[in-house]
Amino acid sequence: MWLWFSKLGSPKWFYELSGKWLPWLVGAMIISMTVAVVWALLYLPPDYQQGYTSRILVVHVAVAGTSLAFFPLMAVAGTITLVWKMKLADMVAKNAAALGAWFSFITLATGSLWGSVMWGTWWEWTDARLVSMLFQFFLLLGVVSLRSALEDPDKAAKACALLSIVGCINVVIIKYSVEWWNVLHQPSSPLSVNSDSPNGPEFWIATIIMVLAVYLFLSISLILATRNEILQRERRAQWVQELVRNS
Amino acid sequence: MIEAIQFSSFSEFLDMGGYAFNVWSVYGLFAVFIIANLWLPLNKRKQILREQKRRLLVNEERNITTDDKQQ
Repeated sequence: MWLWFSKLGSPKWFYELSGKWLPWLVGAMIISMTVAVVWALLYLPPDYQQGYTSRILVVHVAVAGTSLAFFPLMAVAGTITLVWKMKLADMVAKNAAALGAWFSFITLATGSLWGSVMWGTWWEWTDARLVSMLFQFFLLLGVVSLRSALEDPDKAAKACALLSIVGCINVVIIKYSVEWWNVLHQPSSPLSVNSDSPNGPEFWIATIIMVLAVYLFLSISLILATRNEILQRERRAQWVQELVRNS
Repeated sequence: MIEAIQFSSFSEFLDMGGYAFNVWSVYGLFAVFIIANLWLPLNKRKQILREQKRRLLVNEERNITTDDKQQ
């Protein structure tokens, strides 16, 4: 266990292992993404209230749900950085913040494009779900700028780790905002494959496949960015110099 | 498979039951989001490798010349 743990912290080990995983992850992402998008755009029957705008929700729900994973991920990586000073954990955390900001922005934009027809409004300041998601977007931008504002990389890593742990509170608020407050945003529909549920089984299966595709995309993008980070921070290591020479 | 498709013509598909702007904007944005976040790190990787290779070659050249002087 401890051997595995210390190995996992080695950038070289991660670089080699992720290199072996990447082709499989990319293949799985292309397949699941194609199935989900084709299914959603061509086969999904129109919703009895929303018409074809329910197709927006396949993307929105998948991206929004996945965006909630960023603060917990960064908090775990941050804790590992603070307690064990593992370099790799901080590299993952650093790149997760920027990607998470993208996820939050796409959640807000797709939600707006749905709300503009279904609620008749692009934005609602009194809706706790919308505002807490906007807050997550700014918090993630805050983590990104905090990192670039602090010159000492050790201090920056510690400060970002702390902010990531505190930021998890907001994830809980986003999650339960639709239950705690009476808001415009509907609560998440019960996951059901019964044909008499408000959203038919087709909708949920398409959404679940899309969630899988989006998680694969998250892993691939984060792995690629982390590998870049390794090449930069470990540029003096023998194995990186050999890799660069052979590139 | 073909019969299960919700549309009978391509223009009907593009129209998305009257919600063309919203549905296609979302899927367009989603495509940009996916492609950008794969292309950006891949492009950065190329830059890093190019830059580090250049630095390595410069350093090696410098080492060779100092070796020459020592001889």
